[in-house]
Amino acid sequence: MSIGNHILLLDGATLPDRTLIGGKAWSIARMSSLGLRVPPAFVITTRVCAHVLEHGSPPADLEAGIDEALSWLESSTARGFGGSAHPLLVSVRSGAPISMPGMMDTVLNLGINDETEALLAAECGDPAFARDTHRRFIELYAGIVLKSPMELDPAGHPEEWRQKVASGSGKVPQDVRSQLRGAIDAVFNSWNSRRARRYRDHHGIPHDLGTAVTVQAMVFGNMDDLSGTGVLFSRNPLTGEPVPYGEFLRRAQGEDIVSGRHTPMPLDDLKALLPDVYGELLAAAKRLEEEAGDVQDIEFTLERGALYLLQTRAAKRAPVAALRIARDMVDEQRLSPSDALHRISSEQVRILLSPRLAPSAADGARIVAKGEAASPGIGCGIVVMDSNEAEERARNGEDVVLASATTSPDDLHGMIAARAIITERGGSTSHAAVVGRALGRPCVVGCGPDALAGLAGKEVTVDGASGQIFMGRLAVERPDAANDELLGAVARWAGARSPIVVTDTPPAGDAVDFDAHAEDISDIFASLPRGITVRGAVFANDDDAVRRAIDAGVAAIVTSPVLPALVAAAQSAREYRKETM
Amino acid sequence: MDKSHLILHGLAIKKHAGAGDIAGLIGLTEADARSGLDHAVASGRAHEADGRFILTPLARVILEAEYSDHYADARDDTAFMDAYEAFEVINVQLKSIITDWQTMEVGGQRVANDHSNHDHDNKVIDRLGDCHERAGAIFARLEKGVPRLGYYRRKLLEALEKAEDGAIEWVSDARIESYHTLWFELHEDLLRIVGRTRQE
Repeated sequence: MSIGNHILLLDGATLPDRTLIGGKAWSIARMSSLGLRVPPAFVITTRVCAHVLEHGSPPADLEAGIDEALSWLESSTARGFGGSAHPLLVSVRSGAPISMPGMMDTVLNLGINDETEALLAAECGDPAFARDTHRRFIELYAGIVLKSPMELDPAGHPEEWRQKVASGSGKVPQDVRSQLRGAIDAVFNSWNSRRARRYRDHHGIPHDLGTAVTVQAMVFGNMDDLSGTGVLFSRNPLTGEPVPYGEFLRRAQGEDIVSGRHTPMPLDDLKALLPDVYGELLAAAKRLEEEAGDVQDIEFTLERGALYLLQTRAAKRAPVAALRIARDMVDEQRLSPSDALHRISSEQVRILLSPRLAPSAADGARIVAKGEAASPGIGCGIVVMDSNEAEERARNGEDVVLASATTSPDDLHGMIAARAIITERGGSTSHAAVVGRALGRPCVVGCGPDALAGLAGKEVTVDGASGQIFMGRLAVERPDAANDELLGAVARWAGARSPIVVTDTPPAGDAVDFDAHAEDISDIFASLPRGITVRGAVFANDDDAVRRAIDAGVAAIVTSPVLPALVAAAQSAREYRKETM
Repeated sequence: MDKSHLILHGLAIKKHAGAGDIAGLIGLTEADARSGLDHAVASGRAHEADGRFILTPLARVILEAEYSDHYADARDDTAFMDAYEAFEVINVQLKSIITDWQTMEVGGQRVANDHSNHDHDNKVIDRLGDCHERAGAIFARLEKGVPRLGYYRRKLLEALEKAEDGAIEWVSDARIESYHTLWFELHEDLLRIVGRTRQE
């Protein structure tokens, strides 16, 4: 339903145009139109932003429209904005039709002030929660609306918090309508941030498109024992198993899960606790997955036994899960093999092809050190304690593992030369961990004081995925399409769709060798006769080189491993077809 | 400032570097950097291999001993030292952004980021841009105390904009002057200026 010319209520009656309401509101409206329960919300359309951009101020009748929309929110939730025994708090978020950087982040818990904090405390019987909600709002408002991020002392008092913010860059209003106005203005202003402007320039997006503002009622997962919050994946995002996966936290708000202050319970406990809600949640997940045709990551809150869906999006997934989900969805006939090929990346295939410990290789092997797993992979070699020595011995063809109390930029050459990096001090953000990951080297950090010095000169095997360091050189295996069923499925799909031959068998006739000319591959592509064979490691590591070879009209690529290049070739075939259709 | 000190300092920050790599950092022309490097080799302070230079062990010791003289003013400058402390605070945020670039949380666990989820990548680059803008005031104060540090501000923005335009290797690839490479070099530079050592 629309209110005047500027505002739409996301009541599920219609699914408004995405360019008018932006991506986030559209996602809420879609869930709502599927009959799923979402917290009531309204959206100030992108046209209002366009008006602000053109005239420098919002339309005169916008405030009246917001008043009316707020009344609707109040009656839908039986809560009052800025008062009543049941105070209404809202979230405010930006939403452009195309998501872009530099846009305002979400402000949560807007509508809290000294008066509503007391009311909320009385309603949920938890003054500490109400106070904490107040603090989180002031922090967000300071950081996002006033652009002056700060941390506030949780033991402090709201008046102190407001004063601290005021000493920085501006005031956090106590008047809830002023809070809302400030947040809406901040959304519109973010449209013209440096990053948003550059992004639009770069991608040819018109500057007058504008962003929408979504205002949504907050629901409370901490009202009673039938309240809580959680996340649900429609399939397991770590393994890809077609089994719902997630966690639930009773009597808590969404931030509590993220903060790690409480230990959530697995979904099975929710099933035992509230079987009806569990059933409703799974049905919703199934429906949303079917609609989107992809695995969904769903945030939900339970308020006094009523299930609300807050957000759904395509789930992030581990490489093995990406392949498993694609393969299963082909088997379930939800996805064609050629669409499935576009759900995976050659990089994921490359990761799955990396060597792993052979089954039972670690049985009986002695673990000589253990630390935090910082970068996955297996690396074997002689332990060397100095970067210069590591570089020198590697140059002479030795496999070395660089061990150090801690690493610094002075060690980069040694880290590049090493098969693996292990340190005594530091965690997952230490130099060794960060650089090890950037270089793709297996890395174990924080093994403990003096844990590594005794290993100098010994041969070890480092497992960067488990954080274990074994004595000796353990057997590793290389997964491939023949011994791994998921890689095998990908090889079949890609082999049937690749426009060219990709093989690791050296050709009988001539082939242009790219490894010999690594410096000037652009020149070679330009001068290649059509229909010839090219070979080189570059094709296994660089999808772009594969596409350029296809564009140059080569008949075959010889490289090893085959699969990443084959996937890139098959993906390019589909992109080509799309463009010409 | 003493040119031969600057040359050695440049090599301490950028390893296996050529004249073109360190000239901007230490505020010399490439020709001046080149002659300075040749002089460093001739006086036994650096080794050359294929146009790339590294410090000799002796030069490292000399260099360490010189910082307290060359940067006495900066170390006494409260505004500069406050800016350095502020950098250490924002450095913690930068490290967590880079960690989220290299790894991502999937179903409650950290896995390597294979960069197939563009949503995740775009959000991290957005956070990097946000961090860069918040660091702007710190960069300005550092540059006021030690003007050559402006080099990092300019190069960091270049790397950021390349990443924002889709060349994602400019976020953290250790083999190029990516955002993270430059940030790390800036941190190393500051540690030397103020006379502290890295914790981890």
